[in-house]
Amino acid sequence: MKKFVLLALASTALSLPAFADGPVVPQFVEETASAGFDHTFAGEWEFVVGGGTAIFDCSGDGLPEIFVAGGTNASALFLNESSETLALRKADASGLEIDMVSGAYPLDIDADGITDLAVLRVGQSRLMKGQGDCKFTDASADWGFQAHDLWNTAFAATWEHGADWPTLAFGSYIDRTQEDFPWGNCTENLLYRGTGGKFAAPAELKPSFCTLSMLFTDWNRSGTPALRVSNDREYYKGGQEQLWHVEPGAEPVLYTEAEGWKKLKIWGMGIASRDVDGDSYPEYFLTSMADNKLQFLATPGPDAKPQYSDQAFKRGVTAHQPYTGDDKRPSTAWHAQFGDVNNDGWADLFVVKGNVWEMPDFAQEDPNNLLLGQEDGTFVESGDKAGVASMLEGRGGALVDLNGDGLQDMVVVNRNGPSQLWRNAGVAGNWVAIKPQMQGANRDAVNAWVEVRTGDRVQRQEVLIGGGQAGGILVPLHFGLGDATTAEARVIWPDGTEGDWVPVTLGQVNLVEAP
Amino acid sequence: MEPLHLNRRSLLLASAALLLPLPALAEDRPAAEEVVLKWYRLILELIRHTATYSPPVASRAFAYLGVALWEGVAQSRGLTSLAGQVNSLTSPPAPPGPLDEAALVHAVLSSATAALFFNTGPTGQRAMAAMTRKLGEKVAAGLDPTLVKTSEDHGAALTAHILAWAETDGGAHIESLGFPAEWKLTDGPAHWVPTNAIRLQQTPLLPNWGTVRTFAVTGDLPCGLEPPPEYSEDPASAFFAEAIEVYDTGVSLTDEQKLIARFWSDDPMLSPTPPGHWASILIEIATRDALPVDRLADALARLGMAVADAFIVCWRVKFEVDLVRPVTYIRRLIDPKFEPLLNTPPFPEYPSGHSSQSGAAYAVLEAIFGQDFAFDDATHEADGLPVRTFPSFKAAAEEAAISRLYGGIHFRAAIENGLTQGECVAEFANRLKTL
Repeated sequence: MKKFVLLALASTALSLPAFADGPVVPQFVEETASAGFDHTFAGEWEFVVGGGTAIFDCSGDGLPEIFVAGGTNASALFLNESSETLALRKADASGLEIDMVSGAYPLDIDADGITDLAVLRVGQSRLMKGQGDCKFTDASADWGFQAHDLWNTAFAATWEHGADWPTLAFGSYIDRTQEDFPWGNCTENLLYRGTGGKFAAPAELKPSFCTLSMLFTDWNRSGTPALRVSNDREYYKGGQEQLWHVEPGAEPVLYTEAEGWKKLKIWGMGIASRDVDGDSYPEYFLTSMADNKLQFLATPGPDAKPQYSDQAFKRGVTAHQPYTGDDKRPSTAWHAQFGDVNNDGWADLFVVKGNVWEMPDFAQEDPNNLLLGQEDGTFVESGDKAGVASMLEGRGGALVDLNGDGLQDMVVVNRNGPSQLWRNAGVAGNWVAIKPQMQGANRDAVNAWVEVRTGDRVQRQEVLIGGGQAGGILVPLHFGLGDATTAEARVIWPDGTEGDWVPVTLGQVNLVEAP
Repeated sequence: MEPLHLNRRSLLLASAALLLPLPALAEDRPAAEEVVLKWYRLILELIRHTATYSPPVASRAFAYLGVALWEGVAQSRGLTSLAGQVNSLTSPPAPPGPLDEAALVHAVLSSATAALFFNTGPTGQRAMAAMTRKLGEKVAAGLDPTLVKTSEDHGAALTAHILAWAETDGGAHIESLGFPAEWKLTDGPAHWVPTNAIRLQQTPLLPNWGTVRTFAVTGDLPCGLEPPPEYSEDPASAFFAEAIEVYDTGVSLTDEQKLIARFWSDDPMLSPTPPGHWASILIEIATRDALPVDRLADALARLGMAVADAFIVCWRVKFEVDLVRPVTYIRRLIDPKFEPLLNTPPFPEYPSGHSSQSGAAYAVLEAIFGQDFAFDDATHEADGLPVRTFPSFKAAAEEAAISRLYGGIHFRAAIENGLTQGECVAEFANRLKTL
């Protein structure tokens, strides 16, 4: 018997927008200064990538906190004290004031109900145990986590079938001692498995190709997530994008051309995933330079091969050059995330942009993208109209409801410039948020699928820890519902158990507990 | 207190203990040819990792680097300048006095590389700076600092002269990675249309490259070509037969044909590009045979100019003929699901650029090293492709050319006539007087 619990978060009364003439453009208000979001991700070569943000609730009030990488500055945790407007307070002595941090991902490693944090560093990464009340301690040694001294740039996590302890993938970039000749000197990606509260020594994911994003994802709905890895062709030799079989109890094995995997070589920087077309299989948006990919399975179905067609051009999400301003040089894309910022029920796409480092062939004034999804499957740019076309040197970011009003707000981490925060003040449709929860290991139901049904239409999202640019969110899954006034939801749990469809209460977070 | 006696061993120990870099010693001074080879290995990486460096742009850089290097070596050894022989190059500044050849070569290549790759990314910038600093220390070890300074200053002056010349050739400035913001497609099915879904590549690469000033090639539109078979959709036509050949080959490729196609694919951003492939061959030979710097500089200059001229002449014809690519024709008339092995380059088909520049490259290298000069080609070894052995430069060029048929990106006429065009271009480079 699944339990649905209506959480106490208040919902705001929302007026219904008109959806007749294209997507409604939400209005964002920058509240960086007024909210007290004073932080800079800084650094030179070793922080030319990174700048991730991890967003999760560590105070228990339902409003998520913001952890931000600092590069050569200390990383910082911002406590969320928002109400109608956004309000943050930089935490003192949270334990997360760490040097040389490139990014972080939240997850509950030890299943104690308190979210922990995997902190990526240029150096040894750390696993920070949540102690409650937004305090953290380094549990790397206690958990047997043997960190390598690497330029850590990517992370993903899953719970393999039957496992009582998570499987973590850490991606790394270049051998930073190779100043003269860095090309071809990618360092190792590592897979950590464990049991009984300890990680074993990591296994190398050979070959490793200078990874900037990783994601455990059930690409073919087999029930067993695979590890998708996006790699930066700038540095590898003989490399490509990768997909790994990660079967319980077996060594990870790459998908091969014989299995249908087709070589793709891009400046891979970030992965975002969503079932955009409603066929129950996830699509993948891959960020790069001057060319981004939106991959759809070529032949979806139970016997699908991992072959993808790129529909970025067809659907209007190439995001290959600035859409506003005078600088028309090609763009550089980093973090990407799907969301629904206008709650119209069609997935939107948020892409953080920024020049690598004074590269003159690429735009210096490179605005972030807010691409609004439409019923016909295409997207339209709205970043300038929505008020989020920042021209700073973006890296990480997030779409997340920070003040519990049912509207996804926006966080952007810039390199060598102030991080930014926008409150979504737009008119929006109805919404619902679903928080799946399990007992014991994998409390947050990572790699479960959450489905929301309105009439004949089903939206679905996979619970993911990974992807993006060096950062991710762990919050209830947000679904825009347009003008629907009722909805049902179910969860397909990581073990394949299909929950029942049950009505949900709109305008608030619904807790769904596993059997 | 006893005086401190420093020797190599004590320095090693002291440096290791203090984690300090070892000072360069005179006995470790690299010869000028070693300096050249180190710089060219870095240049091959910069070609690969600089976003504007499509094959034509890469060829231009090899030409200017080669000429700058040659002028330095020529002055150092009293050999013949290319000034007055190649288009619009005036005499470079004379040396102010005695020069050290290795220091001069290092200064020329460091300054020319920094200028030509000013737009490379932060990693390339770091690598260039590190090479300039570390190799410069080795080159200067044990030399009179005044001689080092004179050589460095004159090297920079030589480079400035070459770069001023380069600035006027019409190819110095590349916008939007070489893809114009707008381009009107030629009407009719015979003509090029975009072949992929990359937004930037909906216009053709460098449509005006055919107007860039040539180096050794002189005269009005030399090295013209026979036109390709007349466009036709008639299954009995010569054009259709060429398309069928690409299709039949593409759907029945042997493993060896696939390997050949990939070996010569030489994609920009994933390899040193076709001109870099030939530069890599020359560098391997120079390393194997310990080529002296004068012969090495001569070969690099001629090779660079030949491939650059080949691309210019080839591009001129490409945009005059503006021929449709095989993938477009075959999908429309033969098999809508046809997938060529290689990605089709984003510009018109006729003639084949790789064939043209390979024809020029082999003919130049053959004139320098001889007809039956065997060599190994390890250009793509680090990328996992095997070393290939060739009995001659011509055999390599012919394989490079036919690889485009195997790859499904060119018709036979573009391949065969491209090679011929390259041979014609090479004759101009071969006439230059140097050694």
